[in-house]
Amino acid sequence: MGDLFRALINAVSIVAIPLLLILFLGYGILKKVRVYEVFVEGAKEGFTTAVRIIPYLVAMLCAIGIFRASGALELLTAVLAPATNLIGMPSETLPMALMRPLSGSGSLGIMTELMKVHGPDSFIGILASTMYGSSETTFYVLAVYFGSVQIKNTRHAVPAGLIADLFGMLGAVFICRILFGV
Amino acid sequence: MLNYIWISLIAIGILVAAGNDVRDEVQNTYRNGVPIEATVSIQKSPTSLRQSWEGDLVMSADAYNSFYGIKAAKSEIHQPIIVNVAPSGESTVSLPLGSASPDLWKEMSKAATNKDKLVGSVLSMTLAADQQSARLQIVIEPIRFMKFKAVTQAALDYASTAVTIALGLIGIMALWLGVMKVAEEAGLLRIVTRMLTPVTKRLFPDVPTDHPAIGAMIMNIAANMLGLSNAATPLGLKAMEELNKLNPKVGTATNAMVTFLCINTGGLILIPATAIAVRASSGSANPGIIIGTSIFGAGCATVAGVVAARILQRLPRYRKDLEPEVRKEASNG
Repeated sequence: MGDLFRALINAVSIVAIPLLLILFLGYGILKKVRVYEVFVEGAKEGFTTAVRIIPYLVAMLCAIGIFRASGALELLTAVLAPATNLIGMPSETLPMALMRPLSGSGSLGIMTELMKVHGPDSFIGILASTMYGSSETTFYVLAVYFGSVQIKNTRHAVPAGLIADLFGMLGAVFICRILFGV
Repeated sequence: MLNYIWISLIAIGILVAAGNDVRDEVQNTYRNGVPIEATVSIQKSPTSLRQSWEGDLVMSADAYNSFYGIKAAKSEIHQPIIVNVAPSGESTVSLPLGSASPDLWKEMSKAATNKDKLVGSVLSMTLAADQQSARLQIVIEPIRFMKFKAVTQAALDYASTAVTIALGLIGIMALWLGVMKVAEEAGLLRIVTRMLTPVTKRLFPDVPTDHPAIGAMIMNIAANMLGLSNAATPLGLKAMEELNKLNPKVGTATNAMVTFLCINTGGLILIPATAIAVRASSGSANPGIIIGTSIFGAGCATVAGVVAARILQRLPRYRKDLEPEVRKEASNG
């Protein structure tokens, strides 16, 4: 059942893009849209949007880079470890949970390292990879999406995004403990 | 809020870096100025030891661990060494670091004069009777401000990474924005939009049900769920642009934008391909076992994010941000 689902989704994600392209453009021709001209017109915005993001991304990534390089994560892990032990979350996976919203490459590195040390099928390995799949890099998404429309006052986006991350991590711990718990 | 988080990341980073550097200095973590004693087996036998020669520095794990006061080394350390004998008698050594070198030395080299080796000076050198090895007393160059150097490097590196990422988006952005424009002109977006109106009406009550923003958001969420992150970002940015057209106050996030972002940061994805790939490459017996747990975790994150957004948007301090500016007031994010 799980394998069938996986095979199906894999197949869909392989054909999705070619299918979408032909569907969208074909439907456009059918509706007498001058597809080439309209495509180029829309594509023009690609450059300006990408360039518009740069200052937001520089601000965000620099701060995250400084935080990562300083060793603050180790300190935070030591401080928070007693609390996470209470909910049955191994403190080895705490850096993963803390890094996930900040940096995609950073959390990927931590996940790989945890699997190398503890094995991918250990509880820690499974939990770390579940955590990786349970959330997106919140601060990156925030910087890129808000940056593209020059939003500076993000209102409740950061607290709401962090609450989402918190519940994603708690959900990962909860389900992994139930299914693979020790 | 973002203002505070942003400055906290930087301030905490710099303070912790300073703290770590002070601690390293007080504890002398890198044993600056302390001579290390080791046996070097001479590999390329020199014509005379008054020139430079190469050897293999051998140190037992215990000797290494007790010298640095750590437990990192598990087996005997073998480290290539080059000894440069100067005519005046002031000999220097350099330790070119490779994958077999001790981790601490590799770490130290990040703050050293040369990134790929450590240099030092020789205090004394005693040749063994068989001329095959020598007993060396060396002092490795002082390593200081390790974290400060790392922080500086990170700030510069990440600034250029940001530009690389943004520029890398140009092509893929152009492709998808072009396709979306065609879909919009052909009326295809409106069809997609209408199909999911019952859901989107509840999620985004402020957005008219047939607005192009809805179509773009649906496409973005669908692409995300399929793991097509290349297509998802341009579609998401298109959605933000459309949402911004409904924005009464330029530069301030609307409720719909925050809800949309929370769905995105929840990261609901049917196949967490990256995690599965890493599991497979680290030799997992069942790499795909995390599909179900990931969907559950991401589901929790998405639901919690949307609910949190809906509750928080009612708070007076966030409602006030959206009101048209009556008088000049400092905005806080």
